[in-house]
Parts: sequence; structure tokens; C-alpha cells
Amino acid sequence: MENVLSILFCLTLLYLVITSRLKTYVSILRAQGVLLSAIMIFPFMRHLSVHILIIPLMSLIVKAIVIPRFINKIIIDLDVKRIVEPSIQPFNFLLLSVASMSTIFVAAHVLSGYTPIEPIPFASAFSAIVTGILLIIFRKKLIVHVVGFLILENGIFLFGTSVAAEMPTIVELGSLLDVFVVVFLMGIAINKISSTFAKQDVTVLGRLKD
Amino acid sequence: MTILSVLIVLPLISIGVCYFIHIRKTQYIISLLVAIAHLVCSYLVFSGLFIPAENDFFRFDALSRLFLIILSHVYFWVVLVSYSYLNRPLIVKEEKSKKLYFTMLNVYLFANTLALISNHLGVFWVASETTTLSVAPLIYYYRDEESLEAMWKYLFLVSVGIAFAFIGFVFLALSAGGTVLEGQQLLVTSFTQYATQLNPIWLKASFIFVFVGLSTKIGIAPMHPGDIDATSNAPSPAAALMSGSLRGTALLGVLRVYQIMVPTATADFARTIMIIGGIFSLFVAFVFMFKVTNYKRMIAYSSVEHLGLITLGIGTGGIAFVGAMLHTVFNSLTKVVLFLNAGNIHRAYRSREVNSVWNVLQAMPWTGWFFLFGFFAIIAMPPFGIFFSELMIFQGLLTKPFLLGAVLFFLFFIFVGMSKTVFHMLYTAPPDGDTLVITEKFEITHFVSLTLLILLVVLGLCIPSQLYSLVVQISKDFGILL
Repeated sequence: MENVLSILFCLTLLYLVITSRLKTYVSILRAQGVLLSAIMIFPFMRHLSVHILIIPLMSLIVKAIVIPRFINKIIIDLDVKRIVEPSIQPFNFLLLSVASMSTIFVAAHVLSGYTPIEPIPFASAFSAIVTGILLIIFRKKLIVHVVGFLILENGIFLFGTSVAAEMPTIVELGSLLDVFVVVFLMGIAINKISSTFAKQDVTVLGRLKD
Repeated sequence: MTILSVLIVLPLISIGVCYFIHIRKTQYIISLLVAIAHLVCSYLVFSGLFIPAENDFFRFDALSRLFLIILSHVYFWVVLVSYSYLNRPLIVKEEKSKKLYFTMLNVYLFANTLALISNHLGVFWVASETTTLSVAPLIYYYRDEESLEAMWKYLFLVSVGIAFAFIGFVFLALSAGGTVLEGQQLLVTSFTQYATQLNPIWLKASFIFVFVGLSTKIGIAPMHPGDIDATSNAPSPAAALMSGSLRGTALLGVLRVYQIMVPTATADFARTIMIIGGIFSLFVAFVFMFKVTNYKRMIAYSSVEHLGLITLGIGTGGIAFVGAMLHTVFNSLTKVVLFLNAGNIHRAYRSREVNSVWNVLQAMPWTGWFFLFGFFAIIAMPPFGIFFSELMIFQGLLTKPFLLGAVLFFLFFIFVGMSKTVFHMLYTAPPDGDTLVITEKFEITHFVSLTLLILLVVLGLCIPSQLYSLVVQISKDFGILL
């Protein structure tokens, strides 16, 4: 089941690559939040307890409800143009990300031969990290950069669950809080940038250099 | 337990108090009291007079104790000058930033202490991300376009960098597959204990990710730009804090992973990576020292240079490692002097451009002389401490003559580039002939500069036995026998 959910997670990434509407980005973030929580709950389906449910529930609230809402609010408040202007052709972007995803899946399959990893969640997580970075590189809008960062964070979250790195509950909660505050601060910064500069994309941020 | 509560709980309480009380003087007094209490406790822990009980999550080994005393020291001086700094008339927009200033300082102290004494890499990760969040509003203090850009870049780059470091920590967990540590918590102590059983490939991958990720925060080239923008646009006390202690905290994360690798065959790999990072940072500092036109950016590049030297020293090992540890202490203190006086110059000339600053020695003699002595200290002029620590690093590098040659070449030209800028600011008469006239009094920043410069000379000439034995203990923990 985890594998099925991970594959779904990967499909959201592909959708993310071809879409150019900001609204879709937010829906994808929501979907990923739900998928991540589901992936976290599944191994414990047989013996659920309040203690186990805390983290998935919190991540559901933060990743699927609070953060997407906040990003939606920024888009509406700032009246950001709803279409993203990519700096490369969408088809080339798709090609690039499919190529990197397949490389990652093959590499994960090879690696699973001699280390105890689950290839599909591992590869999905890594694909999300790469897609997040590609999104940051090839898109100009700052709000899309924030989405890219969140996709990267989602990937890392999935990564952490897929290799079962033991983290105490308080650390997991702390990391969720950190992600939320980062996004919150970035939101404030975008707000300020839009009131200071004419546009909200990276081209306005070129004053500091030597 | 008492020490732990002073170190962590007291700043936490102070965050709440500073947030809800809007009287600046009260905020200042509370923050200062917390800083003093923190300094006293760190000193007790540092000198070994009181070693708190360790548990799974917190530990007070020699490395933590050294970085803790650096943090406490830098933080104390920064808080001490903050009140007079906030009371300077500069621009109207700042007023809003001043409300949050002390709250953020306390958040910084809390998170940074937590990161330094944590034994759990997950705790370290969360805490070091929190330090980034605490300095971001401080960078935006002046509320102008530059500081906005600097804050955005710093927040974004460092957050992505720290995310990478997290991947590194997960790889570390993967490396434990098939050993007794599988599925266990990411504790540095237990990983060090069973280090030889860990999978070397994952261990190497882990180090690369942690090093590259945390480089954004340490300021190791080529990941340094966010750091440069942030330190040069932040208000001087915050810049001193970032250069003096935040970079060290990130370095501690790299050192922790390296510590795990030391007993294994992968240690050489880690050392090579650190040497490459260090030498590349020196190269970048060398190139940009001739290009910069902004004196705060110049000091920020000097941080890149010195953190590069420290990484190089750690990578070289032996006596260079000892030198690198001492260098962390001296570099932190010197950066406080430089940034505080650069702040004074900025206040008087209202510009960070080198070409708008003339004749500082005549216009503001106190600041000018302290800036000059700070410059002497940072370029490793004897009898300041950095001279002795750099000498140790060079001594360690003697076995690698080509590397030593390159390092000396870069350092010499960094010295030339930096002195060109500094002497231009201090001595050149303005083209139109009218020198700025300022009646400068001996202020608290000058007192702090004087104290720190004296401390640097004293520490350099007769290094306290406590400090030296602590550094020797750290070297032993890293498998270096002197």
C-alpha cells in the first residue's frame, strides 16, 4: 500500500511539472499533504493509538490545510498573475524531470540490492527533492519558489519515513513548526517585496552583488 | 539540571517577557540579565567546575563546551551594546523592527544553545533551523530594499541548505542498516561508539550532504552568497552575532558528523572534502577582496576566508586541528570588534560604500583606531591571537607544501586587498577637501572593542590552561594525539 501511495505521490510531481496555473500548485500541495499523512499511518493500521496518530494528524493539518490556505491567501491578496511564465518550454521541463525521475528509480533499484531500503518510497522521495529544486531553478515567480521549497520539504519528509529514521515526537513536531514558520516568513517577505518592487519575481532581486 | 535550566529555560522565559513588554529599557535589562546568567553558567561548564549530568539528548563534551563559551561571550557583548545601538537616530522605518529586536535575540540564544549542546542530530537540525528563523527578522531591521533582498536570499538559501543537511542525517541513519544501531535514535554518542560497523558508502554520502547543506550557513564557498548578503545588510550587532557565533554553530554540525567518521576508513574522504572547501573559500575571498566596494561586505568576505582556514585546519588534522579550534575563538571575538566599529562608521557616514567614507581616523578617532586595530587582529598581526592560531595551522600544513604555498599566496593577497580598502577609509582625504566633523565620545561600543582587543592579546600571549586543555581534549575526541 505504501508503494501505491508513493507512486501516486510521484504522479502529483509530474502533474506539477506540466501545469502552469498557480491554483493547481496549491491543490497539489494539498494532495501531497494528505498522501504523506496516509503513508505515515499505514504501517500502524493494525494497532493504532493516540500516540502514533499525533504526527500524521499534525502534518495533515499543517501540510494539507494551513500552508495551502496561507499560500492561497498570498496569491489572492497580492493579485499574483494566475499563470506562471516558465523560463523553459514546458515540454522540455517535463522531459528533464522524467529523465531525472527514471534515473533515480533505476538507481534506487540498484541500491536496494545491497542496502535495506524500500526502493519505491525512497525513489519517490528523491524525485520530489529533485523536482522541487528544478522548480526553483526554472521558474521565476517567488511564490512558485516557495511551492518548490515545500515540495522539497515533502520529499524529505517522505524520505525520513521511508528509511524509518527514528525521531522523537517532539523533534518531528519541531520540524513541522519550523517549516510552517519558514513559509510564514517567506510569505511576509513576498508581501513586502510586492509593495517595494513592481514585480514579484527573481528578476527584481539583483541589487546585492560585487 | 540547574545549569541546563539556566541555559535553556531562562532564554525561553525571556522570549515571552520581551514579546509582551514593549518598554525597550525593560527588554534590554532582562535580556542583559539572561545574557549574564548564561555567560556565568557557560563559564562554569567551560572551566569544568560544574559538569551537568548528560542524557541522551544533551551532552557537554569538550566540543560543546568550547562552542558554548564562544556563543555566550559574543552574545553578551552584542546585547550589551544593543540598547545604545537601538537608541541611535537613523531612519523612521526602523522603529517597527526595534519592537521585535530583543525577542529575536532571545530566540537566537535559546535555539543556538539547544543546537550546541544537543546530542541528537534531529534536535540539532530543528534548533539550527530555528536560529535561521530568528536572525531573518534581524536582517530586515533597516526595512529597505537591500535588506529585504538579503533576508529573502538568506532565508531561502539556508532553508534549502538545512533541508540538504537533513538528507545527510537520514543517510547517516541508513548507514546503520544491519548493525545494532538500526532503527535507533540518531545519537552522536552511540553512532561514534559503533562507527566502525557503519556502511562506508552511506557515511560518505551523508557527509557530503551535511557539509554542502550546512556550508550555506557556515559560509564555505561556493555556498556563501546568502551569508555575505545577510551579514553585510544586517544591523552591526546582528552581523557580529552571525559572524561570531552562528557560523560556528553550523560548523559544529559538520564536526559532529566528522566525529562519527573519525574511527572509520572514511575519515580521509571527509578530510579531503574539507580541505577542498577550505581552499576554495580562500580563493573566493582572494578574488572578491579586490572587487568589493562595500566595507561591510569586505568583513563578510573576511569571514569566508577565516571559516575556510578553520575548515582547512580541521581537514589537515594534527596541530592544524588545534590551531583551527583556537582560531574559531579568536575569529569570533575579532569579528565583533570589526562589525561594531563598522556600524559606527555606517552611522556617521550613512553609507556602506568604501568610496563615500573618508578620513575616518580624523573624523572619528576612537572608532578609527579600534577599526584599525581590529583590522590588524584579523590579518593575523602579532601579538593578537589569530597570529598564533594561524601559525599552528601553517605548522600542520608543513607536510603539504603545495597547499601551504597556495594558502600563503591567498592570505597575502587578501591582506593586500583588505588593507587597500581599510587604509583608503581611514586615511584618504576627501576630494573636495571638507572632512566630516563629528565630536565623538567614548561610547559603549568602544569600551567593548577595547576589552575584546585586550582579551585577544592576552589570549594570544598566554593562553589560559583551561582553554588549552579543552582544545587538547577536543583533539583527543577526534583521534588526534599531540
